[in-house]
Amino acid sequence: MNILIPDSWLREYLVTKATAKQIKEYLSLCGPSVERINTVGKEIVYDIEVTGNRPDSMSVVGIAREAAAILPRFGISAKLVNDPYETTSKIKNLKLKIEKTLTIKTDPILNPRWTSVVMENVTVKPSPQWLKDKLEATGIRSLNNVIDITNYLMRAYGQPAHAFDFDAIADKPNHATMTLRASKRGEKLITLDGKSHALPGDDIVIEDGKGRLIDLCGIMGGKNSSITSTTKTVILFMQTYDPVRIRKTSMALAHRTEAAGLFEKGLDSQLVLPTIHKGIELMTELTGGIVASKLYDIYPKPYKPHQVSVHRQKVDIYMGTQLADKEIHAILSTLGFTPTITKDTITVTVPSFRRDVAIDVDIIEELARLYGYHNIQTKLPDSEPPVVLPNLQLTWEEEIKVRLRDWGYTELYTYSMISEELMDTFTLDKSKAYKISNPLTSDWAYMRPSLWPSMLTAIKQNINLKPALQLFELSMTYTYRPNELPIETPVLIVAWTGHKFFEAKGLAQAIFSLFGRPLPESPIHDKQKLHNWDDKMRLLLGDYGSISEVNPELLTKLEIDQPVTIFWVHLDELIKNAQQNKTFHPIPKYPPIVEDLAFAVPPNFMVGPVIEALKKIHPLVSGVTLLDIYNDTRTFHITYLNPKKNLTDEEVTPIRKKLIACALAFGAVFKEGSTP
Amino acid sequence: MHQSDKSEQTIATPNFIGMLIQAQEDALSEIASSELSAEELRITLLGAKSELAKLTKQIRSVPEADRPQVGTVVNQVKQTIEETLQKHQASSIKHQEDWVDVTAPGILPPQGHLHIVSQAISEITRIFERIGFTRVRHPEVDWDWYVFESLNMPPNHPARDEWETFFIDYPGKPGKDPKKQKVVLTPHTSNGQVREMEKGTLPIRMINIAKCYRRQSDVSHVPMFHQFEGLYVDHNVSIAHLKGVLDYFVKQFFGPERKARIRPFHFQFTEPSFEVDISCGVCLGKGCRLCKEGWLELGGAGMVHPVVLKNGGVDTSTYSGFAFGWGIERTYMMKAGTQLDDIRLLYSNDVRFLEQF
Repeated sequence: MNILIPDSWLREYLVTKATAKQIKEYLSLCGPSVERINTVGKEIVYDIEVTGNRPDSMSVVGIAREAAAILPRFGISAKLVNDPYETTSKIKNLKLKIEKTLTIKTDPILNPRWTSVVMENVTVKPSPQWLKDKLEATGIRSLNNVIDITNYLMRAYGQPAHAFDFDAIADKPNHATMTLRASKRGEKLITLDGKSHALPGDDIVIEDGKGRLIDLCGIMGGKNSSITSTTKTVILFMQTYDPVRIRKTSMALAHRTEAAGLFEKGLDSQLVLPTIHKGIELMTELTGGIVASKLYDIYPKPYKPHQVSVHRQKVDIYMGTQLADKEIHAILSTLGFTPTITKDTITVTVPSFRRDVAIDVDIIEELARLYGYHNIQTKLPDSEPPVVLPNLQLTWEEEIKVRLRDWGYTELYTYSMISEELMDTFTLDKSKAYKISNPLTSDWAYMRPSLWPSMLTAIKQNINLKPALQLFELSMTYTYRPNELPIETPVLIVAWTGHKFFEAKGLAQAIFSLFGRPLPESPIHDKQKLHNWDDKMRLLLGDYGSISEVNPELLTKLEIDQPVTIFWVHLDELIKNAQQNKTFHPIPKYPPIVEDLAFAVPPNFMVGPVIEALKKIHPLVSGVTLLDIYNDTRTFHITYLNPKKNLTDEEVTPIRKKLIACALAFGAVFKEGSTP
Repeated sequence: MHQSDKSEQTIATPNFIGMLIQAQEDALSEIASSELSAEELRITLLGAKSELAKLTKQIRSVPEADRPQVGTVVNQVKQTIEETLQKHQASSIKHQEDWVDVTAPGILPPQGHLHIVSQAISEITRIFERIGFTRVRHPEVDWDWYVFESLNMPPNHPARDEWETFFIDYPGKPGKDPKKQKVVLTPHTSNGQVREMEKGTLPIRMINIAKCYRRQSDVSHVPMFHQFEGLYVDHNVSIAHLKGVLDYFVKQFFGPERKARIRPFHFQFTEPSFEVDISCGVCLGKGCRLCKEGWLELGGAGMVHPVVLKNGGVDTSTYSGFAFGWGIERTYMMKAGTQLDDIRLLYSNDVRFLEQF
């Protein structure tokens, strides 16, 4: 939460010679962060970020209190003055002519403290210039003197205030009834900004004597009881609420007001009375109002200060240094704590406005920040580091990415969320997908079960920017598991524009060989397809993934006018089955004999199984590779090697015969004359 | 009609073709032996006054029926002479044996590109590895328990507002385990804290790097981004150690002249909590037009809250810890010289952007 504090207003509560620049710098180092100094006319205004745990600092007095504690740490004297907790009420001495009465029913759980007072003879009119200037400098629009007073109190003390039109809710002459209760589901209320709300139920509301709701407590007053230009009698009203209920209502109605932002963080009941006293003073001064009722103060369970302790050893460990008793005492006292210090323990009595201090480390924070984080040493841990085995998954991912980069591929990071339309286009099962219930746009609605939709979208986007695309992504897919979180599976997908089946297969072979694995090949002849994504050029890689050209119908649907080839693989499976140990083979002492054998083959011939079979024909065959494909001719490059002696033609001839016979079994006919 | 044709002398077609072939041979031998330049030769052999030009004019003397055939031969002759002239011209440029034009472009190896985020992740991982922090991975889609509740943010806590969280429609019925009720997309990497502690091994020095998701998109926010989260749990962990690690990182990643500082802040899952700043790379902390105050905000950090340690099963009487975490993209963009002014470019998937890195 940010708050704007005018310098002149701050100095009403802070006596110091510190410059605005010093205040900004030193507060930021030890307390609330002063993000910038704005100059509005002649006024210097601090823009301060106050953290959610410190509603006590969401006010001019709160910031002054912090400054009074912090500035002396930098050798600049500073003193908090006009502290509302210290001021005694001037109202006590007023002679009240009690005329008007309120019948109040409330609930101490919903509303720990209630104060209210009726003021009559009020003239609603524009505020004096000084008040207008103050409010405007702090970012609040001036409306009229009564509303401005309530806003002034909220900004000065951090306690929201409200004013009702007494006559609007009076049920008898000089009498009004106010019943604070939990709302019922569906009850209706129009807030003073004109918005109509159907209440979710269990909200804190006030009902008047005629059974109408007049206040959505802690968030905004009702329109039916609001101050108008003709208001003559006002109920000035200040209170604290159960922060959780305020929070729930404000979120459920999406009605976020500054008051709600304060109440939901828990305000100090001890501050309520000083605030209403100040309010009465201002009403008297600025509206001509006269107190016309007793000051109602319903506070059945008054605040009892609590204590928190911390071991000094723990303080020393956290700070990496030892603080003297005197310094500990000084720091805690200036912040409003009452410390008791022994050899082993520091115990503090916590002031009512610091309900955030509840456990030992909270005291450490107070000590350390005032001592100055900048004064704490900077040193690396000197303990023994844990012995941890690296996560192979992460190591391999980095390795694969670097390889792909060096092989000429460009990496993408697409969003993990895809649209419903893409889910449908790819016929992905929406009932078994993790859907975002509050998507930012319909483009990002489902956690993707596959990388294909994102990759093809990226291809489409770039297709006219570059003649030949070679893109890859290595990211998670999110796979359904009943009653559990999704399985997050790392998948590598590589895409080419053009007919690149053999480039894709070559890349797949290279990646599999990194893991010491041959490429598992399961060509598919029939129409069996997992999805309608692939064309006939398709090679399943066992359970690992596949290589294929994308179905032209799908490409048309996606408005991609070029062929696209895709290789994808489950990286985690590959890592699980990696064979990383490489075995040394002695370097041969004798030269190999090499020759090329050409075969005529029938239509639809598959060369892969033949190569595998030829390799196994004889131990002296040390290598079989495909040299060439030309029309119906397949030429194999054969290497014969005997590690123990020089090979002779006599030894090779019978092996060659076996090779030729083996190929014939696959339907390949040896072409005479092709031997060297 | 055509009276004039008859009056002129006719030439037999074979003779005429013979004259053309002769003209071609003469021309070729002249090209081979002449000292004239290619341009001069072209005028002599193909120009208006050349032998070939004269012959061309005489085509009308050939019987009309044969003229198309003769015309084709004329064209062939012309073409042959022209080609020979061109070859002659090219061969007249002397071949320079000892000359290599070193200014000609080189032959590039394949040029691929890693995404900036991958580059930054590798760099950050290496930096922390050197001081014993090991990279781990925890879920991106996680239970509300790990993302909020175990981090001291019960349901309806106002601190949850800071994370613009995406919620998941859980496909199926949640079971009875109170920690497995609601699923969210992790808006930060801090879900890794309790998960790492649950592994049950102490001390911990981890770097958790993962995708995070928040409901926002503008020049400095994207709905999906990456964070890195450091967690250190051991005996006697101090704020001084946190400062040491932060300063080490800042010097390694941003440069040895840069400094880190911490200022008070608040997070529900750390106590005390800090905002981490780095000194500006331009003025080195003195204050300049670029940074205004000499310091730039980097991210959040703090001493692990006792509630979090307890939720992770760590004995708070003997152990304490610190944690820090912030965005990879933002950190990279703050590196001097990147000049990236819109974070959304990183996820635009435009190859013209990706190929710059």
